[in-house]
Amino acid sequence: MSVATVPSRGAALERVESLVLPTRRDEAWRYAPHKALAQLTFGPAATPGVVPADVDLQIPDIDGPRLVVINGVVDPVRSRLDSLPAGVQLVSLADAPSEITVGVLEREYDAADDAFSIINRAYGDGGALLRVDGQLAETIHIVDIAVPDVSQNASVSRVIIEMAAGSSATVVETRIGHGDAFGASNVRTEISLAADASLEHIILQDLPTTQIHLGRVDVTQEAGSTLRARLFNLGSDYGRVAYYVHLDGEGAHADLSGLYFGFGTQTLDQQITVVHSAKNCTSRQSYRGVLDDSSTGIWNGGVDVRPGADGTDSEQSNDNLLLSRKAEVNTMPRLEILADEVSCQHGATVGQLDDAALYYLRSRGIPKEEASRLLINGFADQMMDDLESDAIRSWITERLGHDDA
Amino acid sequence: MLHVENLTVSIGDTPILKGLNLEIGAGEVHAIMGPNGSGKSTLAHALAGRDGYEIGGTVTLDGADLLEMVPEDRAAAGVFMGFQYPVEIPGVNNMYFLRTALNSVRRARGEEQIGASDFLKGAQEAMDLVEMNHDFLYRSVNAGFSGGEKKRNEILQMAVMQPKLAVLDETDSGLDIDALRVVAAGVNSLRGPDRSMIVITHYQRLLDYIKPDFVHVLVDGKIVESGDHTLALHLEDHGYASFLNHDHDGAPLTGATT
Repeated sequence: MSVATVPSRGAALERVESLVLPTRRDEAWRYAPHKALAQLTFGPAATPGVVPADVDLQIPDIDGPRLVVINGVVDPVRSRLDSLPAGVQLVSLADAPSEITVGVLEREYDAADDAFSIINRAYGDGGALLRVDGQLAETIHIVDIAVPDVSQNASVSRVIIEMAAGSSATVVETRIGHGDAFGASNVRTEISLAADASLEHIILQDLPTTQIHLGRVDVTQEAGSTLRARLFNLGSDYGRVAYYVHLDGEGAHADLSGLYFGFGTQTLDQQITVVHSAKNCTSRQSYRGVLDDSSTGIWNGGVDVRPGADGTDSEQSNDNLLLSRKAEVNTMPRLEILADEVSCQHGATVGQLDDAALYYLRSRGIPKEEASRLLINGFADQMMDDLESDAIRSWITERLGHDDA
Repeated sequence: MLHVENLTVSIGDTPILKGLNLEIGAGEVHAIMGPNGSGKSTLAHALAGRDGYEIGGTVTLDGADLLEMVPEDRAAAGVFMGFQYPVEIPGVNNMYFLRTALNSVRRARGEEQIGASDFLKGAQEAMDLVEMNHDFLYRSVNAGFSGGEKKRNEILQMAVMQPKLAVLDETDSGLDIDALRVVAAGVNSLRGPDRSMIVITHYQRLLDYIKPDFVHVLVDGKIVESGDHTLALHLEDHGYASFLNHDHDGAPLTGATT
């Protein structure tokens, strides 16, 4: 069975015909640039012309296996797929044999579809398929590069990650773009964690500010599994990543955190929903935003505790630093609890640079600008505290324009 | 070295310092004592350059006009203030902070930058001076430090910065007797012919450990009495009551110089 005949894809294609784009009235899309979204043109994956070598400079230098996808098509030259560790399958989704895609490509989720996830189903033939069975020491790196084309300015790709029972791995998804033309990437990641599996999943979003990034991550977790999702949402004119995490098995744990750091007129949008469906699951959401100039941040973080999910333990926090009078943040913790013996905490803060701290640093001879930068970096860097990879840390700190202290 | 003449400081419409005069020579240690609300901390912050004050009068350090300078320039000129309430700065590594501070003042003075390994050596020596575990270099500035650890960190910073004028604002507050001894020993070891100090305190206790050359009594925004260290002992016995609520007649107290 090839991708083209997957029933859900055919259905999605039909739905694309009558697609209705989200509007301001859709809470999850309230701050999206609706006019720009309407100008995106999608279609089947198509290899772009020559991609200049300087795009490689944007890719973090992470050792280990790497799959590079450009406009939905795997680039074999930029990929490193030889000598994969034992227990790892990392293949181009378009070329994946049917015995591993069966039951995977058409998986449906208990979360609302939107126009762009339907488009992703319809045109997302290409991308990465990763299956892990074992304890992986090496980091798997999946790179998505969007190069807007005249005929079709938005790229579509999928990432599918299947973690076998008891497996563990770290996966980094770098999402970048090339050129200064208007365009977008629409990337949907689908993660399934079997019992006791453990995954650290890191997204580095840094498309050019001429482009839009529409990211969506659907996760299903079986008993005893652990997800650590880290988002560094830095690029794009509108950079969006939506997570739908389903804690379906008893004792599953999801720990989501992220940093968004906006300049200029950027809008950085994080939409998080964690659904507790089983007993004694724990979830953590911890996000920080720094917003400069006229940028806007959105954090819409939800916890749904379904009937029977007794013993749920969840915490959410969202802290924001506004560096300019024109910067804006919209923070919305949501809670829906339909079970017993539940502990759910949430908190959100919005503040400016601490004058007392600024004065303290300046009294030690550190000039005002540098003191401000130290404080901003100090605030942001705490979201990198548990990143083990030096390559990723230095990519982020370099991207944010400072040395790694 | 430090010359303060008719210094007035107001916050909004409220006058705090009402014409303060102070002359400090090189290498001298002056204690400033006074009851709560007399303006001791305001004096310290006015010297360090905190925003939000209406300031009048003259303050010069070796002839340079301090009042014209922003806080970082005052630090480069050699002023160091030990805070009564050191600020917690989560996410900023103590060592990185200290090295940035030291190299900032060196840059401002046109001196060479100090490399990481030379800096580390100096910082570790400074830590031994205040009996601080070297781990503190790798923690965030003051974050989660106990009161005593924060005060030691202030003296550590002073040892690294090697200021010309140190203003220590209630360095003894919140310290138990052992920590007080350590902090005072650190301060004493930093005394020298080129370094002047202003030690601000509420209690005589600190002055048992850091023996001042001069003691001044600050009441209601003015220095009402100056003397040698025996003035502090007098205050210990009699409190500030004799300076409060009546016009001071200027008569010298026991041990006071005029």
